[in-house]
Amino acid sequence: MPSARINNRIRRLRFDHDEMTQEELASRVGCTRQTIIALEQGKYVPSIELAFKIARAFAVTLEEVFQYEE
Amino acid sequence: MSFKSFKLLRLVVVVILGILVTWAAANGNPWIPIPAVIAATIILLLFRRGVKEVIVDERTFSIAYKASRVAFVIFGVGAVTIGTTLLALGKAGQPDLKPIGFTLSYSICALVLIYSIAYSYYNRKFGGKE
Repeated sequence: MPSARINNRIRRLRFDHDEMTQEELASRVGCTRQTIIALEQGKYVPSIELAFKIARAFAVTLEEVFQYEE
Repeated sequence: MSFKSFKLLRLVVVVILGILVTWAAANGNPWIPIPAVIAATIILLLFRRGVKEVIVDERTFSIAYKASRVAFVIFGVGAVTIGTTLLALGKAGQPDLKPIGFTLSYSICALVLIYSIAYSYYNRKFGGKE
């Protein structure tokens, strides 16, 4: 089975949004700061619900935040 | 209340509870530990309600799920191995080990039963066939 990976641009998007802090993003999407850190490091893949919340927090589409690579 | 303050208060409550239970055990007083544990639980729940930050999220649940699976497998394999060994030793002339072997064997049976019931419940809840 080929390995797949989900990358994200959360760190880039945070900086593009007035250097939004991890704490602020976490509070906007309703998760812990540790989860944002894990997402940015690529150590955790979010649920679809959290992915949508993050995309909405940056006012972009899901695929502008998350990229699926096979 | 911030999560940091909550953690500090939680530590204080746990320390006080530990002192109370130890004191009660040392003095042979059986009436203090149970109300103390109940009171501490209620106090911690009230404190937790006051925390504005998110303490638990999907990542925490994911970690807890994986940790439970590992704990389940380790305990299962360990209890079966040690339990059967103790039962065998019990039959081979060390009868004191038999009750421990039975306790371990029955506890793993109970754990598997509870797991099966919980699995069946969540399977139905999340759309599995009945």
